Amino acid sequence: MRGPALRRLLAGFLLMALWEVAVARGWLDPFYLPPPSRIAVTLGELFARPVFYEHLLATFTAAIAGLGLGLLIGAVLGLLAALVRPVAELLEPVMVLLNAIPRVILAPLFVIWFGIGLGSKVALAVVLVAVLVFFAVHAGVRDVDPRLVERVVTLGGGRWAVVREVYLPSVTAWVMGNLRVAVGFAFTGAVVGEFVASSRGLGYLLSFAQSTYNAAQVVALVLLVAAVVLLLFALAGALERRLLRWRHG
Amino acid sequence: MTALATVPAPMSTAPAAAATPLVRVAGLTLGYGAAPPVVEAVDLSVAAGELVSLVGPSGSGKSTILRALVGLHPPRAGTIACTLAGCEIGFLFQEDALLPWRTVRQNVALGLRLAGRSRAAAEAEAEVWLERLGLGGLGERWPRQLSGGQRKRVALAQVMALRPRLLLMDEPFAALDAILRRQITQELLDWVEGEGIAVLLVTHDLEEAIALSDRILLLGRGPRARIRGTYEVPIPRPRDLVAVHAHPAFAPLLQRLWTDLAAEVAGSGLPRAAA
Repeated sequence: MRGPALRRLLAGFLLMALWEVAVARGWLDPFYLPPPSRIAVTLGELFARPVFYEHLLATFTAAIAGLGLGLLIGAVLGLLAALVRPVAELLEPVMVLLNAIPRVILAPLFVIWFGIGLGSKVALAVVLVAVLVFFAVHAGVRDVDPRLVERVVTLGGGRWAVVREVYLPSVTAWVMGNLRVAVGFAFTGAVVGEFVASSRGLGYLLSFAQSTYNAAQVVALVLLVAAVVLLLFALAGALERRLLRWRHG
Repeated sequence: MTALATVPAPMSTAPAAAATPLVRVAGLTLGYGAAPPVVEAVDLSVAAGELVSLVGPSGSGKSTILRALVGLHPPRAGTIACTLAGCEIGFLFQEDALLPWRTVRQNVALGLRLAGRSRAAAEAEAEVWLERLGLGGLGERWPRQLSGGQRKRVALAQVMALRPRLLLMDEPFAALDAILRRQITQELLDWVEGEGIAVLLVTHDLEEAIALSDRILLLGRGPRARIRGTYEVPIPRPRDLVAVHAHPAFAPLLQRLWTDLAAEVAGSGLPRAAA
């Protein structure tokens, strides 16, 4: 482990030790902020119950489905808007509006439309991710170097060759650059959707823990979601480095 | 230095002006938007095996003419008649414009794949061209990992692999240092002379134009630039880019071109019409 990572780990341990001591000495009320040891025990209890894995799976399913669909829908709409003027005139105002508002406020509407099941969570994750990807793809197409287009044309390439050789790689680079943010958005959509109305998922557990004033469980679930997202960040980062190795290599 | 010529070029001072042109432009008028045309009523032709240079003041529309020849700029008026298929025309740009997400080998193979060759065959042939241009072993690199000179050679290999019959060049080596520029230009000259490839070169370098060309066209000042003069270059081939400067015809022709170009830039009168 290198210096900075080691220092960060030590700082984390020090903070938790201080936190533990502060609660033990009575400087912090465990009702509001339980000590790390209590949170660790709560996490252990969660993982020990088989039903917890159903909640975990529900959130994962909603987030991954939302991420996949959001990437696809955002990419297709972004590409269409960038290449077909009338589509851009139709879509851009909607996307600008959706980008300007906090999109999680759509959660109650999705519950009315799609019910409290998986559909409403996926829909919220899709809206969060698709708007991000739409603008990334749009920027990717706009960012295309016209000299590369001319290069392919003068080498004998037609319209499809230009799309395949120039536009798609350029767009992929932009989407990959936003993939980690998209992963975070997908989990935000899934958890917030579950928090608003659901019968399963980590968001539902959070809501339940909040209603019973179980601060240890709230913090444990928050840490768990953060850990899961960080893990997916690392995977997305590895995928980005692999697909964009021409940039990093 | 890598030798590109595979067939010794015959000694000749006679450009193929009388031969059937590969490309013939008549009354070509080009412009941007609603502005006055950049070039107007331009006539030119390039015959098989002929090296023609287009020189003129900055902004006179030299590059625009080249772009129009390959359909990158629509003409306002005039005709472009070409006896070649698209893949028989190679284009070397000022910028190397390599695809950054393709390896060096894939970049060289691109034109071959677009021409319908399988990936394996195209990349195998690309490797041959890379070796020939002194880039052996660099096929797996990304363009950003190459030097400016290496990128130029890759762009050259990309065009050469298509075995064009007409090569359009828009000051492709202008950004290179003098030594590298001369080296790559000599390699290119050996190749086009050996293979009998026709060239239409846009350049602002009059010495380069004389050293390479059979015929030089002087484009006047824009807007509404026209061809103001045609100059035959009576220097035999094959040529050496250093030795060519010592040819008795070189200095007088350079002097005439400078005088006529200066007159064009100053707008103080018309140069002589033809040599």
